[in-house]
Amino acid sequence: MKINHYLIGFAVSSLFRRGTKSLFVLFIFTALIFLLSSILFISNSIKEELNLTLDSLPQIIVQKLQAGRQTNIELKRVNKLLEFQGVQSAVPRIWGYYYFEKAGVNFSLVGIDAYDKQYKNSFANIVKNVNFDALEKTSSMVVGQGVKKALSENYYKNYFNFIKPDGDFIKVPIASTFSSKTSLESNDIILMPRSLVLEIFGMDKTKATDIVLSVANPEEIPTIAKKIKNLYPDTRVITKSDLKVSYQNIFDYKSGMFLALFVISAFTFFMIIYDKASGLSSEEKKEIGILKALGWKIDDILQEKFYEAFIISFVAFISAIILSLFFVYTLEAPILKEIFIGYSRLKPSFDLPFILDVQTIFLLFFLTIPLYLAAIIIPSWRVASMDADEVMR
Amino acid sequence: MFLTPETIAILILDCIFIVFAFFAFVISINIVKKWDLNSTSSLQYSLEKKAILAATIIKYIFVLKLPLFMFFVFTADKISGVITGAMCAAGVVNSVEFGLWLFVFKIINLFVFGFWIALHVKDMQDEKLSLTKLKFSIFLVAFLLLIIEIAYEISFFASLDVDKIVSCCGTLFSVASASSFSVIFMIPNNIIITIFYATFFLYLVSFFLKSELFFFFSNLVFFIVSIISLILFFCTYIYELPTHHCPFCFLQKEYHYVGYLLYVTLFIGTFSGISGSILSLLKPHHSKSYYKVSLFFNTLYTAIITAYPVVFYIKNGVWL
Amino acid sequence: MIRCKNISKIFNVNKPNELTALKEIDLKFKEGELVILKGASGSGKSTLLSLIAALSKPNVGEVIIDEKRISKMPDNFTSLFRRENVGFIFQKYNLIPTLSAYDNIILPLIPTNPNEKQLHKRIDELLKTFCIEDKKDVLVKNLSGGEQQRVAISRALINNPKIIIADEPTANLDAKLSLDFIEIIKSLKNDATTILIATHDPLFFDLDFVDKIVELKNGEVIDVSHS
Repeated sequence: MKINHYLIGFAVSSLFRRGTKSLFVLFIFTALIFLLSSILFISNSIKEELNLTLDSLPQIIVQKLQAGRQTNIELKRVNKLLEFQGVQSAVPRIWGYYYFEKAGVNFSLVGIDAYDKQYKNSFANIVKNVNFDALEKTSSMVVGQGVKKALSENYYKNYFNFIKPDGDFIKVPIASTFSSKTSLESNDIILMPRSLVLEIFGMDKTKATDIVLSVANPEEIPTIAKKIKNLYPDTRVITKSDLKVSYQNIFDYKSGMFLALFVISAFTFFMIIYDKASGLSSEEKKEIGILKALGWKIDDILQEKFYEAFIISFVAFISAIILSLFFVYTLEAPILKEIFIGYSRLKPSFDLPFILDVQTIFLLFFLTIPLYLAAIIIPSWRVASMDADEVMR
Repeated sequence: MFLTPETIAILILDCIFIVFAFFAFVISINIVKKWDLNSTSSLQYSLEKKAILAATIIKYIFVLKLPLFMFFVFTADKISGVITGAMCAAGVVNSVEFGLWLFVFKIINLFVFGFWIALHVKDMQDEKLSLTKLKFSIFLVAFLLLIIEIAYEISFFASLDVDKIVSCCGTLFSVASASSFSVIFMIPNNIIITIFYATFFLYLVSFFLKSELFFFFSNLVFFIVSIISLILFFCTYIYELPTHHCPFCFLQKEYHYVGYLLYVTLFIGTFSGISGSILSLLKPHHSKSYYKVSLFFNTLYTAIITAYPVVFYIKNGVWL
Repeated sequence: MIRCKNISKIFNVNKPNELTALKEIDLKFKEGELVILKGASGSGKSTLLSLIAALSKPNVGEVIIDEKRISKMPDNFTSLFRRENVGFIFQKYNLIPTLSAYDNIILPLIPTNPNEKQLHKRIDELLKTFCIEDKKDVLVKNLSGGEQQRVAISRALINNPKIIIADEPTANLDAKLSLDFIEIIKSLKNDATTILIATHDPLFFDLDFVDKIVELKNGEVIDVSHS
């Protein structure tokens, strides 16, 4: 079938001749697609970020529970855990949250030891890059970029005064800052020698926060986890897949909420378009009458209306996607991102990695364009099947 | 309920389809009961106009159903990442008892709706509108088929269970499986190949005989035999694995999405053959161009699918 | 040949404001005839024209043109019939004011996806015939009444119609432009086109090239005179 460019030309001129109405429809349709595509882009990016984070998580974490709450675990259990077959390494971790009241944010204090096997690749890199001996000697710290920003906003340029549980101050100089490929996790992190973390939190030197294990064969993880639980009934054993599922659940819940919101706004949109397409001025009615008198079939008028809809959809679709790409990846999605992540006050900001796949574009297409077309079918048919003898009266 | 943006999109469209198809259904009932082109009553006049609305709705549904079918496969493929044990759409579809039926209805409906539109185009060329009553009677059935498909689809998403461990194409399409497929897997390869090429030959004969009824049946048989031989024999050469019989995996990127090409050519080829010959039977003056379209696409399909084992043999010097 | 077979048209059937616009009209027009439909406003002239052009359907009877029962045809086919056979000239021109003269003239042909070259040739001919070549790209709302009339006539002729239907064509024209219009009609008459004109303008009543004058009153034919 040949494309009728006269009809397309007529559709274009018809849109221009009803400029305000077309602009209004174009505007709300663009807004709808923009909102939806921004949500999808952000959620795709956060998913990607989460996956990167999850990949670097330890395979098994062993925590000690007392009265149902997590408590510090004895260091001597490390050697026992290493005796399990299949366990490659067992590393005690010393870490905790430090609440910085002035900025109202939580820092994650992580104790490191250059000679221990590092449990996270990103930390291993930092340890390599930083002169660890100097850090140990001068009792100083390495901070994430988000931490650095929060501190300097409060005039701590080169050091920070931690308050110990007994009320004493301890002054720790900042040796350097770092960034890692997953900004979501590294932003609030402070790395410092273990002894320093123990001191700041007032922890017992024979204990650690938890113990992380790595296992040679991932298939064995559930078995090993079960065995640990049998040996130490007072522990909680968390595997990577447990974490993955719970992260995913929280995330799906959030995007589900947004989609529910989208369904409502889509319905509103449907009604607005339906209303706009139904409300015809007498001028438009007359125009249709003229066209029918001149020999336009109902199908011709429907086709013309379809072309109009297609042009509007196409323009709205393209411009909304460009706008939201700009909004999400250049402007870093202000407001929307905060709502989506939900803990913006406590976690300093982070960058969204750029992800754009064909499937998301298809998804956007199926969520929006058919809706618009559906909204105009009945009004267009009503217009097109009007009696043409109006023009003779 | 398994809710992801993709499934929500499909469900929203299902809702739109149900509502609009229902309008068309009501109009169809009225037309089947009261259509009389010779009458000058205002009822007949309004029915003529409503017939156009119903046709527009059906066109809308069909035009969206085509890409939506592929999107559904794509979505099922994506969900396979979440469902334990599923490696492609086959595992996801199979994780629910009626998954296969959902698929069968989807394909039947594509044929039925496509045929309906071909019938409609034919009808609109003649001012006596002699096919109108027939086409809306057919829609009454098509509507029921659509409702069944959508009901299956909704309950499909509702009963997808992330925690359930499913078996995927590896076991699903093999002799060992307990599915209805398994009997077919007993047939040896050389018989399959013989049947496939014999069917194609039969199809060619029907093309040259230009008998509508013969052409209709040869297309129908060719479609069914093609799908079966694809699963049993040809796809093992696409995967270059003698045990992999999945009709979905080659839709994935690793196989350059060749599945879409295969299915689309096979669909166009057999669809134009089937619908064209029915239309010719209904209206003897129907243009014969559909013969050529059908021949071109069915031959193209046969050529592509033949190329896989041949190229494999040339490269490796052995058959799988 | 146009045959109106015993047609009646009633508006608002079974409502309090029921109105019989035409009552049992039985008329025959031959090919190439120029027919004047005469009568006061409200006498049913326009309704009759719209039935002949299949813009609406009679309640009783039927209209047959060249053996086609056009009043029984579905909407899409009556449109097709008009596109191929009928040229319309309306009382108020019925142009689309926000389109250019050129765009208005091609309107009837848009759905046929015409060949560009032939279309341009045809339009240039028409524009030349009616001396509006220089107004081609001017928006219709910026044209004078006479120019608009010529654009409307050009549009009516673009599809080389067999039947031209004009409804009060001179109602909005001054005396000179009305005479111009009659000249145009005369020249069309020579092309063997059937022309139906509904008017109460006396200018038309004693033209020597008119074949038939049909007088309507209250929806009934009261007189048919042949000249």
